[in-house]
Amino acid sequence: MVTPQPEGSPQPSDGNQSGCPYCEQRLETPFCCVSCGQLFRPAEEPTPFEAFGLPLNYGLDGEELDRRLLRFSRLVHPDFFATAPEEQRRIAEESTAALNGAFEILSDDARRADWVIGALGGPSAQEEKQLPREFLMEVLEWGERIEEARESPPGSETRAALDGLVSTLSRRRGQSLSQLNAALVPPPTERDPRLTEARHRLNAVHYLGRALAQLEALRLEQASSR
Amino acid sequence: MGYIELDVLNNADPSLVMGIDLGTTNSLAATWRDGRPVVIRPEGASGSIPSVIRFPPDGKPVVGRKAREQAVADPSHTIFSIKRFMGRGLDDVRDDLADFPFPVSESADGLLQVDIHGRLITPQELSSMILMRVHDIACRTQGGAQIPRAVITVPAYFDDAQRQATRDAARLAGIEVMRIINEPTAASLAYGLDRTAEGGKIVVYDLGGGTLDVSILSLEKGVFRVLATAGDTRLGGDDLDRALVTLITNGLAEQLSTEDMADPGLQQAARLAAERCKIDLSAHPEAEISFIVPHRGIHFRRQVTREEFEELVSALIDKTLDSCRLALSDSGLEAREIDEVVLVGGSTRIPAVRARVEAFFGREPHTELNPDEVVALGAAVQAHILAGGSRDMLLLDVIPLSLGIETMGGSVSKVILRNSTIPCQATEGFTTYADNQTGVDFNVVQGERELAADCRSLGNFRLTGIPPMPAGMARVAVRFFVDADGLLRVTAREESTGHSADIEVHPKHGLCDADVDRMLEESLEFAREDYEAGMAANLGTELGTMLRACERNLEAARAELDPESLADLEEAMAAARSVADSGSLAALQAARDSLEVASMPLAAALMDDVARAALSGKKLDEV
Repeated sequence: MVTPQPEGSPQPSDGNQSGCPYCEQRLETPFCCVSCGQLFRPAEEPTPFEAFGLPLNYGLDGEELDRRLLRFSRLVHPDFFATAPEEQRRIAEESTAALNGAFEILSDDARRADWVIGALGGPSAQEEKQLPREFLMEVLEWGERIEEARESPPGSETRAALDGLVSTLSRRRGQSLSQLNAALVPPPTERDPRLTEARHRLNAVHYLGRALAQLEALRLEQASSR
Repeated sequence: MGYIELDVLNNADPSLVMGIDLGTTNSLAATWRDGRPVVIRPEGASGSIPSVIRFPPDGKPVVGRKAREQAVADPSHTIFSIKRFMGRGLDDVRDDLADFPFPVSESADGLLQVDIHGRLITPQELSSMILMRVHDIACRTQGGAQIPRAVITVPAYFDDAQRQATRDAARLAGIEVMRIINEPTAASLAYGLDRTAEGGKIVVYDLGGGTLDVSILSLEKGVFRVLATAGDTRLGGDDLDRALVTLITNGLAEQLSTEDMADPGLQQAARLAAERCKIDLSAHPEAEISFIVPHRGIHFRRQVTREEFEELVSALIDKTLDSCRLALSDSGLEAREIDEVVLVGGSTRIPAVRARVEAFFGREPHTELNPDEVVALGAAVQAHILAGGSRDMLLLDVIPLSLGIETMGGSVSKVILRNSTIPCQATEGFTTYADNQTGVDFNVVQGERELAADCRSLGNFRLTGIPPMPAGMARVAVRFFVDADGLLRVTAREESTGHSADIEVHPKHGLCDADVDRMLEESLEFAREDYEAGMAANLGTELGTMLRACERNLEAARAELDPESLADLEEAMAAARSVADSGSLAALQAARDSLEVASMPLAAALMDDVARAALSGKKLDEV
């Protein structure tokens, strides 16, 4: 748990760590009090989930995350402190940067999964590089088709046939994301074997994401050559 | 000036700020007045100042409309489109050098410099001359008020080096940069001002003189949030002109030698004629390219139809639609989900551009605001917000290109992804690859490609002092921090020992603080006369305001002043009247200073008298 330290004021003596030391309302984020607008500088850098006042859980309501980002930004954004003393300006800018950094992790399924697997003591991407077994043959085939398309001139038939591959890969990415979700929700306990399963599913998501990005680049090339 | 204007009597706004659109072709300033952003226009003028500088061989540089008017007669001393050089290296600008009038070289630090009559001047300094001119005219138009603080706009797709260069140009111009904001985002602020209660998805298509930006925003309860941005910093109206110039050169090729064709006078005349023709074609189905180059005996005339022009630029417009596709895909939206389309930049006056954008998004674009002014207006809105004038609106902008570190094998490990909301921070762990490695070199890059060599290198730094340990054991945390201006700071720390290197990544092709200081000194030398004349004008105005305030209030408070104070004040007022129109900086300064001191008893009497009313020119620490 992160202890909020209000600027220029002593720590509250009642030891209530999750309440605002000024208005005693419950804190939704360690960076500010939504009730009284006071800014805080957390003693330690909060985790992405702590920054948004959410429990450590891969399962997350994206719309709620959006709402919180806007609500907190309205209080801590540096634009509202441009005429404040240097110290306040800095806190506002750093808090907002931390919130935005946390948002980038939480709002992206793959990055959020990577963070959760690591936080629960699961294998890192360097430790577990495998893809789920059923992918192996397909990966080789897809790789060949992308390579072929890359070498054929824009506007050729090989390239035109890529649309089919794009929809296959998008569908598979969707499937892998739901399998990833199944491996992480409800939250695994620490060192649960489901974490290794989740890492493999995440590797598949990453692979498919990269392949789709390559296809998108080829498609843009195609579009601009027209 | 260390002054806070406390002018309750004049009811003047103590927090005057402005927004400046520093454009490739034209620049413009706007301010906030009576609850709205307004373009600052000298009487009878448009307010728009051509971003053109002429350096006659003997004499002072000329910036703006005059420079542009003289361009045909004196092409070899006139600089256009300097914005294309900002934050770039020599290799980046090769294409632009063909029609550049002065020799351009690169310093040992990778800084571009233009050799102007033997003096080496950077693009930052040249841009600062344009900014100074815009700022100066704006201050004079505002009654000579000092408005040191401004929001400056840049294309959304500007990278770190280009943003730094813009900020440095503003510093060199003596402007206190409140914020660097993106042009399309500024435009959305200007447009969204009356619609904050509604919501929706907005796309801003900004095709200016030299750059293209496409930004997609969501507007919800006054929060303008950029979802994605895409663009091209080397695609704009200049390129459309060049398409027409090829028509001219093809037409002349038969009758002229290669040497004739390379004549700078011819090139300049052709470019300006092409631009005129392009503008005419937006209003008429047919227009003429026509120009004369007297010293070569050329009188060129050719009719161009709108169809012919559209054929020529069709591929360029296609390219802009690619950026629309990319921005849409990054925002996770489909074209049909877009509620509003906003057009910005002079090039969006071209009917073919309008039609293609309208067809692409399936919506009629907004054109209520002048596309040449909307960016400056939006910058003024943001300046007003930053000055504390409004909490109803908030702008959440993004970084246009991913930031990362080159890793072993030359690939890029991305630390902050493109379209992340700024300010933003992220930390990435790295390790050593050799046993007992005590230092790590970092190459900080910006771009989307997988290989570092294909991205733009922003700078290198080295973390040293890592204690000897086996390969892969050291844990180096590299922290990227992008501030609200979109500028990057990088720090690195070895976590097992806590050994840290806090290093500002010094951009390649950028200025360091010492450069800025040196240039500031030189520019003062260079333009001391201008500077003094400007100062004198401002001081004269200020003195006039003080005098009027004293005159207005003296009668009411006369009885409350002791005779000595009264005599001092009347003497100081008389002295002020006698030098008000002298134009002498020293005399004005002296008169201002003594009037300030002499008017203090009056101010004190008024403070007692009319609660909290104060005199103009009162220093804050004496209140």
